[in-house]
Amino acid sequence: MKLDTMTSKYISDYAEKTLLNNPFENIKIENYKYAQLHKSITSNASFKEFDADLSSISSIKNLKLSDSSDIDLLSNLNKWNFNNTDSYFRVSSILERSSKKIDLDLYNEEIICLDLSLFKENIHLLKASELPKTLVIINSNISEICPRSIILNLLEKANLNIVHYNISNSKSFLYYEINQQNNSNMKFLSFQSNNVHTRNEFFASLEENCSLDLYGLNIHNYGVNDNYSFIQHMKPSSQSREVFKSIIKNGAITNFQGKIYVDSVAQKTDGYQMSRSLILDNVSKANNKPELEIYADDVKCSHGSTVSKLNQDQVYYFKSRGIDEEQAIKVLQKAFLVETLEVIENSQIKEFSYSLLDSIL
Amino acid sequence: MLKIDNLHVSIEGKQIIKGLSLSINKGEVHALMGPNGSGKSTLSYVLSGKDGYEVDEGTIEYNGKNLLDMEVDERANAGLFLAFQYPMEIPGVQTSFFLKTAINSKRKYLGKSEIDALEFAKLIKSQSEDLGIDSEMLKRDLNVNYSGGEKKKQEILQMSILKPEMSILDETDSGLDIDALRIVSEGVNKLRSEKNSFLVITHYQRLLNYIKPDFVHIIADGRIVKSGDFSLALELEEKGYEDISKTA
Repeated sequence: MKLDTMTSKYISDYAEKTLLNNPFENIKIENYKYAQLHKSITSNASFKEFDADLSSISSIKNLKLSDSSDIDLLSNLNKWNFNNTDSYFRVSSILERSSKKIDLDLYNEEIICLDLSLFKENIHLLKASELPKTLVIINSNISEICPRSIILNLLEKANLNIVHYNISNSKSFLYYEINQQNNSNMKFLSFQSNNVHTRNEFFASLEENCSLDLYGLNIHNYGVNDNYSFIQHMKPSSQSREVFKSIIKNGAITNFQGKIYVDSVAQKTDGYQMSRSLILDNVSKANNKPELEIYADDVKCSHGSTVSKLNQDQVYYFKSRGIDEEQAIKVLQKAFLVETLEVIENSQIKEFSYSLLDSIL
Repeated sequence: MLKIDNLHVSIEGKQIIKGLSLSINKGEVHALMGPNGSGKSTLSYVLSGKDGYEVDEGTIEYNGKNLLDMEVDERANAGLFLAFQYPMEIPGVQTSFFLKTAINSKRKYLGKSEIDALEFAKLIKSQSEDLGIDSEMLKRDLNVNYSGGEKKKQEILQMSILKPEMSILDETDSGLDIDALRIVSEGVNKLRSEKNSFLVITHYQRLLNYIKPDFVHIIADGRIVKSGDFSLALELEEKGYEDISKTA
């Protein structure tokens, strides 16, 4: 069914039904268990709407509908050849929406902003040049919550830094697909806060000698926050680093499931994955599930995962120096997360991200 | 300044301190010596207010106030400082940021405005130079990958910028080489004044050659068994704890 034929009522009913009744469909039984949104969703009573103050970066170039051209993503649908697709959104979003293509090389600006609320379509972004560029994605004002796809194609030697402020004040369902050709470099930070139920799917495919840094910062979301990633190394000598950090409270649930897949020809792959969750109370839950699937015999792959509460000895150390508990907890939360902000290359955006984090803490 | 009277402390039901009394007046330096497991570190944690230590009996008075009623941060801001035997590592928090936050907490407590960036830089520079702390170290995460000596110097740096009235040094000498021991001791001695008091907890008399105490106390099995002047430390070094505890 095309989006145009769906009424907004239908869309919200559809999403609600997805959330409350049907867990996300997955092929593997164990994935199904981890990826489903929890059925006993607690009320949103504690939810406070948070306005990310973007004024300090408002001068940046904002992409508009007129910057895009139509594209048919349906024809690409079968090009990807995952051994098992755990994506719930990809097919549905491409079937339900039309798609737009935007060529990032058409802009001279170093920082470009993509406000998803200005587009109803899936977005297909293209970058061919080596010039460093930072793409800021925001989705604060999205009114309809049907899944959508963001597809990123990096051609040979292309560089791109992406910072997605995923602060929707609502439900958010996004599918990201990252296609990297030889010698391309991508750094991606997904900054997630103040969503009421969210699922992000990250699918990345790397060719030869690429590097991908995929970082997630997930703080004070409500309901269920679900991140799924699948990074496939399809050719030799590529490097991927994935770090997801979550801080949860107020009975929220955070799920992380990520796989590094190394094809049999992808020798000399260097893969790293770390997922860490910090739980601030006794009612919130964190599920982390790291996975490796390796068919080559000369690779370096590691993964780690932790779920912990605040270290009370550290809090005590702060207090013993006269710093009150509230301040100590703020500083320790920030300390837990800052590693992910370091992936941002542009100093203006990095500074903004630090102050945004301060305003959330 | 600090008056401990008949203190009994237990951890998870196990009695560690069994009737300890100690008075420290303004300007005095007291050394507390004792064998492993005698309750030295427990005493320092109880004074600083760490969770998990149950005071079953006795009182601790600090500047006329009931210390046991005060929160950990309140005690610190009121001038009590514990230099830890094993300082915590805090990944992700830059050392200089931590120092600044600590200074500003104290200034806030005293009703002062936040420290000016230049003033802070000057203060840190002079104090860390005195202690032979490399300025690069202040950019690193607090105590993370510090050597044993660097951690102890960091504790003394914190002490020298917070200027506490009552400092407790918990085995600050352990893990220090001779040069570091001298530098750390000089840092402590610089802070000695008529207003400031110290409780120096140590196993060895060596530290007391550098930090000359006014009084020496020997603790065994949760109580002070003998008190005296510096000569007691020398006697202890000669005879060992077992002998001294017996004669007590």
